[in-house]
Amino acid sequence: MYQPLLTTRYLTSRMIPLLAVAAVALCVALVIVVISVMTGFLDMVRNSGRTLMGDVVVDYPLHGIPDYERLIALMTAKPEIDAATPVVDTWGLLRMPYPAGDAKESTQVQIWGIDPVSFSQVTGFDESLQWEAVPPGTASGMRTQAIDRHAEELILALDQESKQRLLTMTDDGALEGADTQVIDKLIDGQQFQDWRARLQSLSSTPELLREAIGEERWAVLHSDLPRLLDDRLVLEEGRTLLRNGEPAMVSGLHVSRGNRRTRQGTYEIEGNGYWWMPRFDAILTTIPITSRGGLNDEPQSIRLPFANEFASGVFLIDKTRVMVPLESAQKLTELQSRKGRLNGEIVERPARATKILVRASEGVTPYELKVVVRDTYAEFEQTHSPDAHWAPPAMRSGSGPEVRTWEEQNADFIGPVEKERELMRTLFSIIYLVCGALIVAIFWAIVYEKTRDIGILRSVGASRSGIVMIFLLYGLFVGVLGALAGIGLGWLVTSNMETIHESLSMPPMWLGVALLILAAIFAIMTFRASRTGRLLPVLLGSLGTLTVGGLGIAELLVRQAGGIVLWDPSVYYFTEVPNTVDWPSALITAGGAVLCSVLAAAIPAAKAADIDPIGALRYE
Amino acid sequence: MSSPILEARELHKTYHLGQVDVPVLAGCSFTINAGEFVAVLGSSGSGKSTLLHLLGGLDRPDPDSGDILHNGESLSTYTASRLDRYRAETVGFVFQFYHLLPELNVMENAMLPGLVPSGIGSQAARVRAELLLNQFGLAHRLEHRPRELSGGERQRTAIARALVNDPPILLADEPTGNLDEKTGGEILDLLTASHEQGRTIIMVTHDETIAERADRCVRISDGVLLPR
Repeated sequence: MYQPLLTTRYLTSRMIPLLAVAAVALCVALVIVVISVMTGFLDMVRNSGRTLMGDVVVDYPLHGIPDYERLIALMTAKPEIDAATPVVDTWGLLRMPYPAGDAKESTQVQIWGIDPVSFSQVTGFDESLQWEAVPPGTASGMRTQAIDRHAEELILALDQESKQRLLTMTDDGALEGADTQVIDKLIDGQQFQDWRARLQSLSSTPELLREAIGEERWAVLHSDLPRLLDDRLVLEEGRTLLRNGEPAMVSGLHVSRGNRRTRQGTYEIEGNGYWWMPRFDAILTTIPITSRGGLNDEPQSIRLPFANEFASGVFLIDKTRVMVPLESAQKLTELQSRKGRLNGEIVERPARATKILVRASEGVTPYELKVVVRDTYAEFEQTHSPDAHWAPPAMRSGSGPEVRTWEEQNADFIGPVEKERELMRTLFSIIYLVCGALIVAIFWAIVYEKTRDIGILRSVGASRSGIVMIFLLYGLFVGVLGALAGIGLGWLVTSNMETIHESLSMPPMWLGVALLILAAIFAIMTFRASRTGRLLPVLLGSLGTLTVGGLGIAELLVRQAGGIVLWDPSVYYFTEVPNTVDWPSALITAGGAVLCSVLAAAIPAAKAADIDPIGALRYE
Repeated sequence: MSSPILEARELHKTYHLGQVDVPVLAGCSFTINAGEFVAVLGSSGSGKSTLLHLLGGLDRPDPDSGDILHNGESLSTYTASRLDRYRAETVGFVFQFYHLLPELNVMENAMLPGLVPSGIGSQAARVRAELLLNQFGLAHRLEHRPRELSGGERQRTAIARALVNDPPILLADEPTGNLDEKTGGEILDLLTASHEQGRTIIMVTHDETIAERADRCVRISDGVLLPR
């Protein structure tokens, strides 16, 4: 076999085929990056669906489903159903604790009343809680305030020894080894507010503060701040929607303007930690609406403390949703258990839920689950006690509850994303044609250049098909090398998407400067080349200077303009750019590129086979 | 002496250059016996290279206009793949302009005919090419590219290539045409040595002094062969 020998030599001895390899690699990488981001995006949508809503939703807005506990009990008895949870959802206004002063901001929120235990079984709620401890900046602020509240008690309890300790601690070492008399004199000169200030200056160093005031006062100081003593409480309060035993709410991370996302993807709290929501209360207001669209009652308000915040990753939800205890939401929407009039009789009307979220057992698809849920609901309808005054709404009536999978529920959101991905795939497949055309052109030139070689090969007994094989193999080599390089490049870009995105949003200064220096070097080289009188180096040098210099200037301008936001979370729903390679698509893309290269190589290969060896040997 | 190894019968070959037909061979007949060293003398454009290409199966004569017999077998009955095999096994070409592949080194160039499907195979080709190149004084040049060689070295490489499959017939087209007298003489010595080992050699040249190295000399003129 002489083909592999010639193919490798043709590939390694010149630049042009490497250009073809680079073209294939770039095409493959481009398609991989685009498809991976789109697929990652779609996966995020799908996964977040399960995390946020479970697999199937029974939806009956406004009215709500009565006796939902029995429905849930029926559901969880089914092997196909892992868990189910009631939700009451409505819209409302949340009066935020900020800004300071009386004119507070209000924001529109989607209120979800949940039963936190079963809700976490269906969704990933407890894993989405943002705060695992009081942030250090906030903690010291909270202590400062607590010292204010308990100042009298704390300062009165300070004995001479504690005062000496406190004074030494808060004098930046100036009193190190000082005479006791000097210190005592100083103590005498201290006023109440001085002691308070000294105590407050220790609020960011809890261990020192504790030493200064002693165990007993330390406990007093934290009597209304148990979260500062036990970090676990922060998560626990979020999980149970209770703060200090009282009903509390957990809001989406972007509901509050107090949380600012940093370029590293972490969150900073405005006001040096002051605007940490879980230390505040806020007022939620809703207007209960009847199914006929009228007002059911007076607008309802409820004051709830924040227990924690959650980050689902879906911007739209993190921006608008507030989780409150189920009972609180039922009160806000008038769906709680209460007396009602039926056929002239006053009867007890059971509490209701507007949604039942259901999670499938392992291995059950959402669509299978949907059938099971429907059947269970039918069972629920049939088995309802004849004594109950409030029958469940009939599902088959057309106006009754609807059962949808999460994808169906959000079809108008998922659908376009899916279509977009397919559109991208199709559009970017056109790149193969470009790639193929490039290979045809490059190989055509190579065949032309290698005409004499082909004549020689024929003269030593190579067949026409043997000649075809050289160029097909060549196409295969170019395709495989390009595809491998493309996969590598695509993987590199995709998995570093966040970094690339960050550096594009605010490119580093050194990059612009480095580009300008490089452009200057190119310019000098071009100037030198111009003195040799040769055109090609001058042209290449000028192009290099302009491109690199242009990039450098553009980069600095982008910096000047404060960077560009490529992935705007409010547009793309998610706060992070997908960064995992869609391997099946990547492999199909790479395979397509190889096939395309071989097919494109077939055209010049056929031309090569048709070369007349006599003419080729005369060819000088 | 012995039986004819190649026989040309009334060979005609016409080239079509656009609208114009250029007859190159016009009824060329001759017989070459196995083991002969024949020189074909002719001036430029007399059709001597064309004759060599026809004999080597690189080209076919005009349809129904003459035939070439190899050991009594007509080349016109050969299929394309049989003709490929004929070029690999039966004949070896040596060209005026060496025609080495620039990307391959000396060793690989010499091995090349051994690598085609009807060649002697890669292992055997390596052994034989090395042997020939050693004989031709190129042992120190095996890894060199053709552009690093002198004209004589290139032609010696080309001869090694032509002999690698050990074909019974060597076809040489002005093998010394591009070389100075001394180097040309060395090349002719190699051909003569190969001939002495029993190989049939057909060499075309325009140079009478070179033709004298052959056993027999024929002259080609206006497309026909004349005895000298």
